[in-house]
Amino acid sequence: MKPIERSSGGAGAPAHVVSRRAFLRGLGTAAVTAAATSTAAVAAEMEKAGGEATVGPGEVPLEFVLNGKPVRTAAEPRETLLDVLRARFGLTGAKEGCDRGTCGACTVLLDGKPIYACMRLALEVAGASIETIEGQSLAGGLSPVQAAFVKHDALQCGFCTPGFVMTTTALLRANPTPTEAEVRRACSGHLCRCGSQPHIIRAALAAAGVATTTTSTADSLRHDHA
Amino acid sequence: MKPFTYQRALSVDTAVAESSERCRLLAGGIDLLGELKEGLVEADKVVAVTRIPGLDTIEKKSAGWTIGANVTVATIAAHADLARAFPGLAAAARDVASPQIRHVSTVAGNLLQHSRCWYYRHRDVTCMKKGGDVCYAREGEHKYHALFTGGYCISPLVSSLAVALTVLDASVVVRGRGGERRLTMAELYAPAWDDHAVHHAIVPGEMLTAIEIPLAARRSAFVQASEKASFDWALVSCAVSLELEGGVVRQARIALGAVSPVPYRDERAEKALVGTRLDETTADAAAALLLEKAEPLPHNAYKVPIARALIKRALLAAATPG
Amino acid sequence: MPEWPKDPKYIGKSTPRVDGAKKVSGAAKYAHDVQPEGCLYGVVLRSRWAAAKITSIDLAPALKVRGVKAAILVREGSRQVRYYGDELAAVAATSKRAALDALRAIKVVAEPQPHVVKEHLAARPDAPRVFAETPNTGAGRERKQGDPDKGFAEADVVVEGLYATQVEIHQPMETHGGVASFKDGELTAWHSTQGISGVRDGLSGALELPQNKVRVLGEFMGGGFGSKFSAGVEGLLAARLSQAAGAPVRLMLTRFDESLAVGNRPSTFQKIRVGARADGTLTAFSMESYGCAGYAAGGPSAGGSTNSGFPAPYIYRVPNFRTRHTEVSIHAGPAAAFRAPGCPPASFGIESILDELAVKLGIDPVELRIKNDPMELRQRQYRMAAERFGWAAKYRKPGSSSGPVKTGVGCAGSAWRVPGGGTQAEIEVSPDGSVEIRCGTQDLGTGTHTVIAVVAAELLGLTPADIQVRIADSRFPPSGASGGSMTVTSVTPAVFDVCTKAIEELMRTSGLADVRGPQWRAACRKLGVSPLVLQGRWIDGLSAAGTGGVQMAEVEVDTETGFVRVKRVTCVQDAGLLVNELTARSQANGGIMMGIGYALYENRVMDSTSGVMLNPNFETYKLPGIADVPEIDVAFMDLLERRVMGIGEPVTIPTASAIANAVANAIGARVTSLPITPDKVLAALGKVPGAARDNPHDAWMSLFATQPA
Repeated sequence: MKPIERSSGGAGAPAHVVSRRAFLRGLGTAAVTAAATSTAAVAAEMEKAGGEATVGPGEVPLEFVLNGKPVRTAAEPRETLLDVLRARFGLTGAKEGCDRGTCGACTVLLDGKPIYACMRLALEVAGASIETIEGQSLAGGLSPVQAAFVKHDALQCGFCTPGFVMTTTALLRANPTPTEAEVRRACSGHLCRCGSQPHIIRAALAAAGVATTTTSTADSLRHDHA
Repeated sequence: MKPFTYQRALSVDTAVAESSERCRLLAGGIDLLGELKEGLVEADKVVAVTRIPGLDTIEKKSAGWTIGANVTVATIAAHADLARAFPGLAAAARDVASPQIRHVSTVAGNLLQHSRCWYYRHRDVTCMKKGGDVCYAREGEHKYHALFTGGYCISPLVSSLAVALTVLDASVVVRGRGGERRLTMAELYAPAWDDHAVHHAIVPGEMLTAIEIPLAARRSAFVQASEKASFDWALVSCAVSLELEGGVVRQARIALGAVSPVPYRDERAEKALVGTRLDETTADAAAALLLEKAEPLPHNAYKVPIARALIKRALLAAATPG
Repeated sequence: MPEWPKDPKYIGKSTPRVDGAKKVSGAAKYAHDVQPEGCLYGVVLRSRWAAAKITSIDLAPALKVRGVKAAILVREGSRQVRYYGDELAAVAATSKRAALDALRAIKVVAEPQPHVVKEHLAARPDAPRVFAETPNTGAGRERKQGDPDKGFAEADVVVEGLYATQVEIHQPMETHGGVASFKDGELTAWHSTQGISGVRDGLSGALELPQNKVRVLGEFMGGGFGSKFSAGVEGLLAARLSQAAGAPVRLMLTRFDESLAVGNRPSTFQKIRVGARADGTLTAFSMESYGCAGYAAGGPSAGGSTNSGFPAPYIYRVPNFRTRHTEVSIHAGPAAAFRAPGCPPASFGIESILDELAVKLGIDPVELRIKNDPMELRQRQYRMAAERFGWAAKYRKPGSSSGPVKTGVGCAGSAWRVPGGGTQAEIEVSPDGSVEIRCGTQDLGTGTHTVIAVVAAELLGLTPADIQVRIADSRFPPSGASGGSMTVTSVTPAVFDVCTKAIEELMRTSGLADVRGPQWRAACRKLGVSPLVLQGRWIDGLSAAGTGGVQMAEVEVDTETGFVRVKRVTCVQDAGLLVNELTARSQANGGIMMGIGYALYENRVMDSTSGVMLNPNFETYKLPGIADVPEIDVAFMDLLERRVMGIGEPVTIPTASAIANAVANAIGARVTSLPITPDKVLAALGKVPGAARDNPHDAWMSLFATQPA
């Protein structure tokens, strides 16, 4: 299982609507997973999937836009989007922290909105745009949100971080200058056991250019001894 | 999850034709996937309903508002006109779970979600709600459980939207193979009051397609109390609606969530408010009446004072202009 | 004696973590993410019974499932199960779906037995026994100092209380487990661990492989908090599955597994009596306590061995005391070391009763602590914290704030004393001037990579970005496990040593008087074609033990709904010589957040009838979220002469105690058991019909009734 090639431009506005023609055009160069069968069979399945046909329980062809590029793979109806991203595309940035839609470590953007990839059947994203953490870095550099997370140390073990970055990214696209309360509200679907939330609030506001919060203050009292 | 087939319904007719005990309708998927993953339910087939055209709109007509079944909780929470008309509904939607869940979960899915009782949700416990013959919660750990029930099972209704819609006299449109029926919110949940085996009145072969809210000069409010500040279930929730005339109550609705298998109401409490001006005293008197028939257990008696406080707060909030 | 540089450029300043870019971009590969070619998916079958004799397990149906490559038993033959979730078997398959299908196909025949999952019921003489041969309660351990009876006789005031703490679960975001791959008789294991050497030794011992045939890797790991010291049952199963299947196997636990089987902080029940003079001076302390570490302390999968014991009277100076602690066993998952083992429960008991004493004596709680705290540093910290926090203006008579939403304040102190040591490190300086430091330590998220880069950069006159840090490989020079806040105290002296040696060697080979900074490249060029490779080891005098800290909390309590909101936490922490302020601040915030969870939300709930844990998930095992974050003010006392110290553990110790005291101060009644949930707050206020005002629950009193004191 090889990761598909990285998207080169994941930081712009998400591709909300992709025409079927554009989709198929894109498939010409997109990586096809090992699971794909013959082209004819895939095409036939795709036609069926386009209508009300019943598919599965075996693997079913699936197309969607992943980090800006149309991709094609196949998945059983019972597979979640998270499983498909990790096992079939090798994109391991989204983590399985709970597999029940409670921790947020698997958060990806579906048509620009944060969702739990662990609670979405993969076939449900057919034709939709999915953005993962792997699509966030700009040509090898970090996005402003990512850079702010590093600068303000909004992470410790880092396992929950891709999820927080995705949600923060979506927040700032929709609301470029959020208040602290809005950051808290947007990030309420994430857990961080290392307790980096104070710095996450700070980083999210800093990425938006909003004056830094009072949530976390610190002093180093060097050589303060009697 | 065992293997299942998948069909994307493009019409309500298809969804209704396919729906059965072994064929589940899938909307946002949060509730159904949770049950499938824990092995609480099994499905041979899943029919996705979210791409059925026409079910994702919010419309205001002369008789009232219609909210399509596939409208997401996030959409309700963010809908400015709806929030002006029904602040209680908007407040309830804003408090549902987390943004990630609100973005995908639909209003129908929220109303029809199953029990969150931790015995029901446990893969290795077969309680009466899952075909066993014991309510483990009654003798066991029931701090999150019901104060009022017509049966023995004490699993409470957890949908906040159900509570908010109840006080708006909303009804749901249900399509079956033989045609359409309309149920009031009370009717939607009535079977769950004393039948532990069901969560609501919708049966396989039916699909909830819309929610209708009548136009009325009502003020509404919703409040909930939880253990955490966000992304936590309500210990108790309370929705109220009031029709006021010159500061005097003409009609009142009060419903409680998370304390009963249904949105809990008591007409006596509502009638007691009619003709009064709302203040601490009248609100508290109504609260006392609504809670009079509570049957607290050792670990959930604390819900009584919480409910009392929330009823008062919701009533006073709804009565206060602004 | 070696000495840290007097006017540092990086040490004590804030350097963003050097591996930050990898972590924010999804490029960091955790054990969870490693996918070698042909990797299989492993899962564990667990007991559905809390107590049972397992008579047979039939794996044959699992092996028939398409895609299944191996199925193994944890142990051959019939066996005893002592908790719900105990490991029985494991399966490896080509996909997650196939592996889970196979788990369902396994047939287990068991004879269920009576179980007991509540501490107070387990202590009864007629309770089902966890181990047939021994009663569920141990003999008890006693400690005594001075003359407690005389001490109480001398007291002007005596207060008594019963305090209880819950079972807290580590719940790192990355679950336990890893990927094991056998190739040519050698095992490579990518493991989510706090101690790669220990995992290596554990795997080689259990599999009877020479230690040099086992390599353990773990560059990134998603949190451990004390629960990830060993390979664990899951690590061993992954290796055995890989052997059986002839392919790499990834076996990461599910959240359900994680909640049940890989460790927790033991519960405690503390009946405390304290005597004091009218001026607040403590004269006597006595405590009878019980604690429960599950079916047995430090089970095979739990890693660290620990029990439910805890220090008392913790940090305070009491001339006369008597303690007696008894272990209770129940049919539940085992305890493991957990961030500052024993200390948060110890703190909760003593700090709670000190506030009761302060109220009774009419003494300010801060003054009472300063009077009885033997550590001069902490006495100063109380005064500093009080000023930053505004204690004098905020502390009022308990329950005296007006309105239904009441505010209150509380304080508590902490100590931590575990020295570092036992680390070796290696430096490779290339002729082009590039530097690589190798050390067999690991980074739990505390910033080990960055700390090494900062120290090396400081000493070599380079920047942290110039230093390539390689850690978490058992082939690197050995270091101990990362626990006990020992990583920074163990690793930095070894890095100091190896850098010092490199400078000396470069000075010799280059003939330059100073090779650091601007001269570095020129000096390195003189190496010719071979890099300079040197080893160093931990040296004395650069790190130390014995830190102290205090915290103050302000809360808001809705007395109608019982909801508690933490408004503000002030933390003054002796950090010794700070190495990297930015990452240390993150650790302090994290300790406080974890303390908030312990204070208000977290609790393992067991069901008596079925014997299962009811909340093996994040829906009802509640962790604090971002909405629960208070204003946090951290002040480090950065004291060069105190040398490098670890702070990861002390920063979490006093938080819950300070919050509990603040709640009591707000409402004028005390919730005496953790977590402080709305039901308990309302009960303490006397607002719950039929409920006892004084929790802990009556039931817990029976613990003390069943055993002679």
